[in-house]
Amino acid sequence: MIKIKVEKTASRGIAIAPAYVYREVDLTPDHYPVAEEKIPQEEKKFTDIKQAVLADLEQLSQENPIFAAHIAIADDYTLQEGIIGRIKSGKKNVQQAICETVEEVAEIFGQMEDEYMRERKADVLDIGKRFLIKCKNITVQDLAAICEPVIVVAKDLFPSDTVKMNPEFVKGIITEEGGVTSHVSIMAKNYGIPALTGVANVLGNLEDGKTVCMDAEDGTIVIEPEEAVLEDYRKRQEEDRKEQEEVKKYRSMETVTPAGKRIYLCINVGNTEEIRLALDKNIDGIGLFRTEFLYMENSHFPTEEEQFAVYKEAAKLCPQEVTIRTLDIGGDKSLPYYEFEPEENPFLGWRAIRISLDMPDLFRTQLRAILRASAFGHIRIMFPMMISVEELQSAKEMVETCKEELRREQIAFDENIETGMMMETPASVLLAEEFAKEADFFSIGTNDLTQYILAVDRGNKKIASRYDSFHPAVMKAIAEIIRAGHKYNRKVGMCGELAGDVNAVPKLLELGLDEFSMSAGNVDYVRKTIIG
Amino acid sequence: MVSQKLTIKNESGLHARPAGILAQAAMKCNSEVWILLGEKKVQVKSILNLMAAGIKCGTEIELQCEGESEQEDLKTLVDLIESGLGE
Repeated sequence: MIKIKVEKTASRGIAIAPAYVYREVDLTPDHYPVAEEKIPQEEKKFTDIKQAVLADLEQLSQENPIFAAHIAIADDYTLQEGIIGRIKSGKKNVQQAICETVEEVAEIFGQMEDEYMRERKADVLDIGKRFLIKCKNITVQDLAAICEPVIVVAKDLFPSDTVKMNPEFVKGIITEEGGVTSHVSIMAKNYGIPALTGVANVLGNLEDGKTVCMDAEDGTIVIEPEEAVLEDYRKRQEEDRKEQEEVKKYRSMETVTPAGKRIYLCINVGNTEEIRLALDKNIDGIGLFRTEFLYMENSHFPTEEEQFAVYKEAAKLCPQEVTIRTLDIGGDKSLPYYEFEPEENPFLGWRAIRISLDMPDLFRTQLRAILRASAFGHIRIMFPMMISVEELQSAKEMVETCKEELRREQIAFDENIETGMMMETPASVLLAEEFAKEADFFSIGTNDLTQYILAVDRGNKKIASRYDSFHPAVMKAIAEIIRAGHKYNRKVGMCGELAGDVNAVPKLLELGLDEFSMSAGNVDYVRKTIIG
Repeated sequence: MVSQKLTIKNESGLHARPAGILAQAAMKCNSEVWILLGEKKVQVKSILNLMAAGIKCGTEIELQCEGESEQEDLKTLVDLIESGLGE
C-alpha cells in the first residue's frame, strides 16, 4: 500500500478503480538529412500532414467546441512559416522542423504573465503532437477504447486525450503535470470527475490494473489499499454522494450559529482562477491568498506590475475582503531562479517574513503591488511566521514607507488597509496580547502551528500519527490566540486545514473563532455544520 | 498603407476566441494586416501571434493594412473589432 498526499485539488470527489496507465508515445523527431533536391518533397509532406490533421480536428470539433480553436492554431500562419522556413533554409526534415517551431511558439506562451495564457502552451504542444503522430504514422493508446471503470493516470493529458475519455468509465484522473486551470481540470470539473494534477512521481509506483483510491477533496491517493482502507474509501464515497446533495441546500443561507453569531466563511486560494470557480459558493471573502505561485511558477522574481495585475484581478473578482499573505517561501518551497543555501532544518530556517525583512527590495515590490491593488477592492495584508513584535513593527514600517512613496507618486491605494498576521509560531501564541495591540487581525495557521507546538514534522511519514491538530496543547494555543485577539477587539480567523474540518467546527465555535477560511470544496460542509 | 487607432473592449482582452475570429477575418483580406502595439508589430493573420501579444481590455492599438484592398479591409476589421469580435 502506497499513500500519496497532494496539495492542490483540481476537481473534487472520491474515486476507487483500477489504474489505467497512459504512457506517452515517443515523439522524438527522426534525424534524417534532407538533400537540396528533396526539399520540395519535405514541404509537400508537411502540407499533406497539415491537411490530414485539419480534417481530424474538423471532425472532433463537431463533438467539442474546444477544437475549433485548435483548428485555427493548426492552420496558423506563424506556425506554417516557421516550419516551411526551417525546411527550406535550415534543410531540416519535416519532423525536426515541426518540433523546433512548436517548441519555440509554446515557449512564448509558457513565459506569459497570465496564467490562462500560460496554460495555452498545452494547446500548441498538442497540435505539434498531432503533426508528429501523423508524420511517424504511429498508433497511440486509445483512451476512447476504455470501456470499464478506471482511474486514468498520466504524465499529462492533452485536450485531444481528454475529449476521447468517456466520463461514464473514467472515474478519476491523476496527472504528474498540469495546473488547476489546465484543460484536464476544467474538463474534469465539467464532468464532475475527481482529479488531482501536479502529483509528482506517481507513475513510477503504478502498473495497469492496480487498485487506486483517490480523494481529491483532501488530496490523498492510495495505491493498492489494504482492505480496511478500501472499505473506508467506499464508505466515504457513498457518504460524499449523499452529503453533497444535502449540503447544497444550505448554500443560500446566511452563516449564523444557532446562538445567533454571524460567522465569516472564506476560502484559501493560490491563484485567481480558484476565486472565479468559487464565486457561486456564497463566500464572505478570501481568508488566505497565497502569493507563492507568482514566485514559483515564474522564471524571475515577479515584478510590481506582474503582481499588481494579479492582486487587482483578485480584488475585483471578490469585492468582499481579500487577505493577501506576503511571500511564504523557504521551508519546503523553493524557487527555480534563486538558490537557497541548503539548511539543516528548513522549517526552522530562512523562510517567509524572515526572507522578506532581509531582502527589502523584494518585500517592497510586493507591498507596493498589494497597496496599488487595494484601490480596487477590499484587500488586507497578512504577514507569515512572526516571532516578535519588532518584526511586525518593521513589516508595518515598510508598508508605511510604500504608502508614502505611492502618495508622492499620486497613485491610489486604500488608506485604511488593514495589516494582520498569521498566528503559527509558539512565540506568537505566548506573545498574543502584545501582538494584538499591533496587528489589525489574526489568522491562525494550524498546519505550522501544530507542527511547531508539538515539534512534529508534518512531512515525516514515520510520525504522521503524532501530528494532531486536536491535541490539547494545540487547542489551548488556539484558545489563547482567540482570547487575546478579542481582548483588543481583533477579528480572529483561521486559515489552516483545521478550519475546513467539520469535526473541529463545534470546538472552534465554542472558542469564539470569527472567521473560517478553507479550500473551496469544504465551504458547503462547514456552513451546514455551523448553521447546525 | 492605411491605419486607424482603436481600443480593445473585450473584457478578457484578445483571448483565444476573439483572437481566432480576428485572425480568420484577416486571413480573408488581401492586404497585409498588422497591429501596432507600442514598439511591437503583430501579424494579425496569425492567431498565435495575436494571443502571444497578450492584448488586454482597454489597450489602444493601431490597426494597419497594406495592399490593393487596404481601405475596405481596414473598414471590415475595424467594424469587427468594434462589434466586440463575437462577444
